[in-house]
Amino acid sequence: MREVQIDSAQQAQAEEKRVGVYICHCGGNISDHVDVEALCARAGQAPGVAVARTHMFMCSDPGQEMIIKDLQEGKVNRVVVASCAPSLHESTFRGTLQRAGFNPYLYEHANIREQVSWVHHGRPATEKATALVAAAAAKAARLEPLEPIRMDVIRHATVIGAGVAGLQAALDLASRGIPVALIEKSPFLGGHVAKLDNIAPSNEKASELLTRLTRQVLDQPAITVHTCTRVVGFAGCVGNFTLRIKVDGEQGQDEGKKLHSMPTKTPRRGVFLPQYGVVTGSCPENPAEDSIETGAVILATGFKPYQPMFGEYGYGRHPQVVTLPEAIQALAGENGSHPVWHWHGRPIRNLAIIHCVGSRQIPGVHEAAEGAALNEYCSRTCCSASLGFANQVRENYPVTRVFEFYRDIRTYGRGQEELYQRASKNRVLFFRFEAQEPPRIESNGTGSESPLQITVKDTLTFGEEVQVAADLVVLAVGMKPNGIDDLVEMMKLPVGSDGFLLEVHPKLRPVELPNSGLLLAGTCQAPMDIGEATNAASAAAVKASGLLARGFVELDPFVAEVNLEQCTGTGACVVACPRDGALQLAEVAVNGKPFKKAQVSPAFCLGCGACVAVCPTNAINIKGWTLKQYEAMVDAIVADLAA
Amino acid sequence: MKDTTIPGKILVLATESCAYPGADAVGQAHLSYPANTYVLRVPSPVLFPEKFYLDCFDKGISAIIIMSCGVECPYEGAYDALAQRIDRVYQLMRQRGLDVRRLRLTAICTVCTRAFVKEVNAMNELIKELGPPGTEIELQDVAQSA
Repeated sequence: MREVQIDSAQQAQAEEKRVGVYICHCGGNISDHVDVEALCARAGQAPGVAVARTHMFMCSDPGQEMIIKDLQEGKVNRVVVASCAPSLHESTFRGTLQRAGFNPYLYEHANIREQVSWVHHGRPATEKATALVAAAAAKAARLEPLEPIRMDVIRHATVIGAGVAGLQAALDLASRGIPVALIEKSPFLGGHVAKLDNIAPSNEKASELLTRLTRQVLDQPAITVHTCTRVVGFAGCVGNFTLRIKVDGEQGQDEGKKLHSMPTKTPRRGVFLPQYGVVTGSCPENPAEDSIETGAVILATGFKPYQPMFGEYGYGRHPQVVTLPEAIQALAGENGSHPVWHWHGRPIRNLAIIHCVGSRQIPGVHEAAEGAALNEYCSRTCCSASLGFANQVRENYPVTRVFEFYRDIRTYGRGQEELYQRASKNRVLFFRFEAQEPPRIESNGTGSESPLQITVKDTLTFGEEVQVAADLVVLAVGMKPNGIDDLVEMMKLPVGSDGFLLEVHPKLRPVELPNSGLLLAGTCQAPMDIGEATNAASAAAVKASGLLARGFVELDPFVAEVNLEQCTGTGACVVACPRDGALQLAEVAVNGKPFKKAQVSPAFCLGCGACVAVCPTNAINIKGWTLKQYEAMVDAIVADLAA
Repeated sequence: MKDTTIPGKILVLATESCAYPGADAVGQAHLSYPANTYVLRVPSPVLFPEKFYLDCFDKGISAIIIMSCGVECPYEGAYDALAQRIDRVYQLMRQRGLDVRRLRLTAICTVCTRAFVKEVNAMNELIKELGPPGTEIELQDVAQSA
């Protein structure tokens, strides 16, 4: 029997709660719509508030130092920061308290950006912010120190997708001694890079880069490669995930069929096959399922190229209109026996490249494919890829004239502006058009030398209408997020309005997902070039290994807790609890006398609060989310400090 | 008679894993909605007893929208328990003469921005029509004494 002593007098002597309220301008994001100074003055009047201050950026070092100083000088012992959404900075400010030597759970967050200044304006915005700050202060005054729950982690990571990002992430994790499962749905390693030839701006061969990278992966004993494999089930939490995987037989896989139809039926492991990738072996004949216990999951699911709609710049209507990936494939297949590049038996004397196809789409100007959203973002890689392609053509086939039609040229990375300069030296001719007046592609009539004619209003020559004959028109298509609806659904992944996976914060937590233990690598997050994708992959690997190296994770202590003095042992909470083993009635000796009291097993408790609602004496609560705290918040909202 | 020109307050109980990030997504999209809405972040609304809702109305909250995770609830069994509790709250509201439409159980996902705004706007229309909580009772009294 458990022995407990309850001394009411001791509880009554609890320390005085002094709440500090710290209000963020967020560099105008908040203060442009909320009168931050008026809010601060009102917050200072709220019950229990000892200090109210403002700062341009509360999350900055000086902002956090302000809180630490007040805590250490004893002015405050509970903290409210009114700023952005708690998903961004709640953990930041809990850390601030910890650095000041305080319990991190003596903190409450007031969301006055996403839920106030970005959705309301003027006086109502300030009034609502006041109510939310008062509510947060009311809760803060009722916060008690809590200890996090410590859980062991499985020292193993899983990477989904074996393109360059996935390969790099797996390699970086393995080099830190962490066992890795690398899951790839196709039978090949390398992703879209396998479809490239010369990589801009370095002109390195994609095949060489992939062969080098995959050799390291295949030689690394800590990496288990699962090709022809999909994730079909996901459960658990950070440090302790279970993934169900399904290995598809060749018959069930499009990619598997491709492998089957290829000239080399059983290519050697590690060999690069152009357009496909690096071979790891053939898919098994029969489907099989398995599960992986893992501590962290890196998503490296990649992108797919934009597929132009029928008739978009003549695509599908004229066979001489192709996408850049198709053109790269055609050029790579040339054996160099002709001094002129031939395509389908026809010499290419005039080559046209059109930029921004399927990227930077403008509502009202561009049309989206049925059921799809417009791609309003810049795909970032197509300018350099197009210029690299143009240079390759001009330098290998000087007879071919190259014309580029662009809206803006964005060669933003190291060595990429040089591509543009080289294209100018190579006498590539540039035309600039407005999105509203894109180039028109038409048949050139039977008697003409070139099958197509492009008409454009060229803003570089002050709107002159120019006509150019073309043997081949190449559409520089952008990047679209890969179709991973099943993973999004299964793993509850946040997706941005552009369809790509959404990180916690673009600058401060760029490779993390809000679901702890899940990380992002590469183009599943946004259009990136190869360097950026591997960069993100290395970052994700570091984050994952940091998480796993410690051997344990600390989880929020938001589980049920029984107040033994108030508990009358009705057992209603035990009946209401949806989780086996989380709650039971136990014999407890209180001040020497035996009583039946509810007892929580914190490791099993999910923290849903089903027990809280049914307790007649409110003797059971979720730590950090007590009913009394909620009641105090409602009281503060109703009290209308702003009135 | 209570002043019906002041818009009533709407309390939104938003789940931490679905509706609360959904409300943040509304902000990220810079969509606008009436400012008389106060979102409380909750692990699961199953935490609140019947009395909590009735007390809110007594305190002057005009309406409560429960924005749950619905079928995506991370706590197995919690959503069903919540739905049953809300049925009991409706019975108690009827007994007190409160219009049951003041309490609405919905499911809002992390990207359900339009649904969020629609729910908030619809509830605003309703409380404009109903007036502050308790007005229904006064109206009944008037009807009975007439």
